Amino acid sequence: MAERISRVGCNLIGLEIKFRRNRQVSAIYRALRLIFPVILVGTLADFVNQTWLQRSGYYYQTLHVAKWAFQLHLLRQYLGLLSAGTLGLTAILMAFAVSFYLVAPATPLVRDRLMAGVIAIIALKSLNVNRQSVLSNHSVQWLSSNLGLSGILVGVLVGLLVGNGYRWLINHQDPEHEHLEQTVGVVGLWLVVLTGLGFIWVSTQTVSLNAALLTLARWPFQLPHSLGTLLGFGLLTGTCQWLGILGPIASVGGQSIEAAQNLAAVLNHSGWQVPHPITLHTVVDVYATSGGPGMVLALLLAIFLVRHNSAQRRMGWYCLVPTLGNFNAPLLMGLPVIFSPLLFTPFILAPLVCITLSWAALVLHWVPAVAYPLANGTPGILQAFLGTGGNWGALVLAVAELVISTAIYYPFVKWAGIAEEAVNHESKIS
Amino acid sequence: MNRRFRSLAVILVALVVLCIPGLLWRSQQRAHVQADYRSAMAPVFLVPGSSATQNRFNALVAELNRETPHQHSLLRVEVMTDGTLKYTGSIRPTDKQPIIVVGFENHRDGYETIQKQAKWFTIAFKALQQTYHFNHFSAMGHSNGGLVLTIFLEDDVAQTKAHADRLMTIASPFNLEESDQNVDTPLFKQLSQHRKHLPKSVTVYSIAGSEGYSGDGIVPFDSVNRGKLIFQGQVKSFTQMTVTGANANHADLPENQQIVGLIRQDLLKMTGFNS
Repeated sequence: MAERISRVGCNLIGLEIKFRRNRQVSAIYRALRLIFPVILVGTLADFVNQTWLQRSGYYYQTLHVAKWAFQLHLLRQYLGLLSAGTLGLTAILMAFAVSFYLVAPATPLVRDRLMAGVIAIIALKSLNVNRQSVLSNHSVQWLSSNLGLSGILVGVLVGLLVGNGYRWLINHQDPEHEHLEQTVGVVGLWLVVLTGLGFIWVSTQTVSLNAALLTLARWPFQLPHSLGTLLGFGLLTGTCQWLGILGPIASVGGQSIEAAQNLAAVLNHSGWQVPHPITLHTVVDVYATSGGPGMVLALLLAIFLVRHNSAQRRMGWYCLVPTLGNFNAPLLMGLPVIFSPLLFTPFILAPLVCITLSWAALVLHWVPAVAYPLANGTPGILQAFLGTGGNWGALVLAVAELVISTAIYYPFVKWAGIAEEAVNHESKIS
Repeated sequence: MNRRFRSLAVILVALVVLCIPGLLWRSQQRAHVQADYRSAMAPVFLVPGSSATQNRFNALVAELNRETPHQHSLLRVEVMTDGTLKYTGSIRPTDKQPIIVVGFENHRDGYETIQKQAKWFTIAFKALQQTYHFNHFSAMGHSNGGLVLTIFLEDDVAQTKAHADRLMTIASPFNLEESDQNVDTPLFKQLSQHRKHLPKSVTVYSIAGSEGYSGDGIVPFDSVNRGKLIFQGQVKSFTQMTVTGANANHADLPENQQIVGLIRQDLLKMTGFNS
């Protein structure tokens, strides 16, 4: 490597490599790699549906899609099915794949590996059932609402639990015994134990595991909006996303009472007097989510600024379209940013810097607060401009923040590329 | 140019290109937002029938406010014959669904009066809209009150630029008290002729009371039933219901427990972020 790498960089790269060598982490990363194509297809379908075909979409509004599109209704239904069938099952896919890859090194038998994955799916589903239907002895109803992108963490946890347990059982098998008998024994034991765990959860907790995690992540919405709570929210959202709880948390701000009052004030009076200039919506949603939560558009730009990182670049091209429409899931899972200790820092830091800058600009009245609703898929830098009804200062601020975020991402992306190469090189040798 | 900058330039150009539709569209943005905009407040108008005053629904509102998480505040407006307004009661500032009863000084029965009442209602509606800045609403009319609201929706609501969400008419005689099914009263002819002007997005419920098989004691069933000839196919949806049993005679209908239930369930249900 011709470029000099700072001491911090070396340490971080070392940490990342050590982390990636860990058996559990490597299983998670291989699982993410495995399901990436599914996620990409699902996200693209969702992107087209949300931004081109739905009334709240950016292209739908600006390009007047309703006037020229053919069979709009049918297309919406079709793409809705496509994205639900792919993104909607992310947690199940992750549970299967993580468990599969954990067991894979321990046994040469494909049957055992597959069975570990299958059991993980069953375990995940036994945590995601309609509580009433179980407790009232009716036919059991499975829930599907929490298995989407927000369920990656739960999928990973279940996959780890099942995979490690299965692996332990395999390692303690008696080689003398008939194989089928043993498999039946292992599978039976695991299913009884896991369904038991699921049953205990269902009978003692009123919400599903994923829903519990999501509720926990939404608590800052009850707080008043000062710089502290905005930063706290940014930190929490970032951490959740980094842990694999992707999806709905970030987009709630536009629906709040404050946003409604801001819009009413702007529409009913001339001039731009907004009663609530500092809210999650006017600061975080608008300025800290270019390319989706975590300023992922800046991450994308940083990837193409770095030299000698063909793997990252390839991933960048794949994720280009969704990222330009603020759908960050493919890049977070493909690169991956999720669970990466090295990329955690910029992923949290860039939005926090943007939040602080935007807060300052709003408090100092350099830019007006956003009041118009934001259309889905509006290019990151244009959100503030359109939200303020065309304020050029807001556009300049958004562009400046994108540049700063790219600068924050740049060194970390460079180091992540080096770490990635080292890990891949190792696995090729071994 | 170096290869890494070439890729970066491609992406930046793509980003700028994607911004172009937004920049071009910006001049239409305000109109677009305005068209989609719904105020947080969506009042519910109640209009009493003939020979009843703006106090007609006090008991109903008290009943509706029982066992509900959202208390509806009550404003009563009386429109005098010269078009001036008299207010009693008030709207709580945080109330998103206040109830506004509009009564008329002249509350006699008859085709002429109903026409005048519809114009008086428009006066009250515009004044309230000026004060409270709502741009969507629901409405319920008992007996002739339903006719007043129907005329308002056909002739005047368009000029107020407000969106009608839901209309409920209770025992409204669209063919007045005419019991001969083959006779069309002038009022019915008028409503039927103007039905094309009804807002396409309003959901309409028409409730008939039934004592015996021909009507609720005052209004013939056929007259209420003619609502379908006015609303069907013109509005978003039209539902007709018949209520029987105790308190099903014309005057008692607004306090009938089944109808109170229907008002709660169909008229007062909240939509969007209000819920």
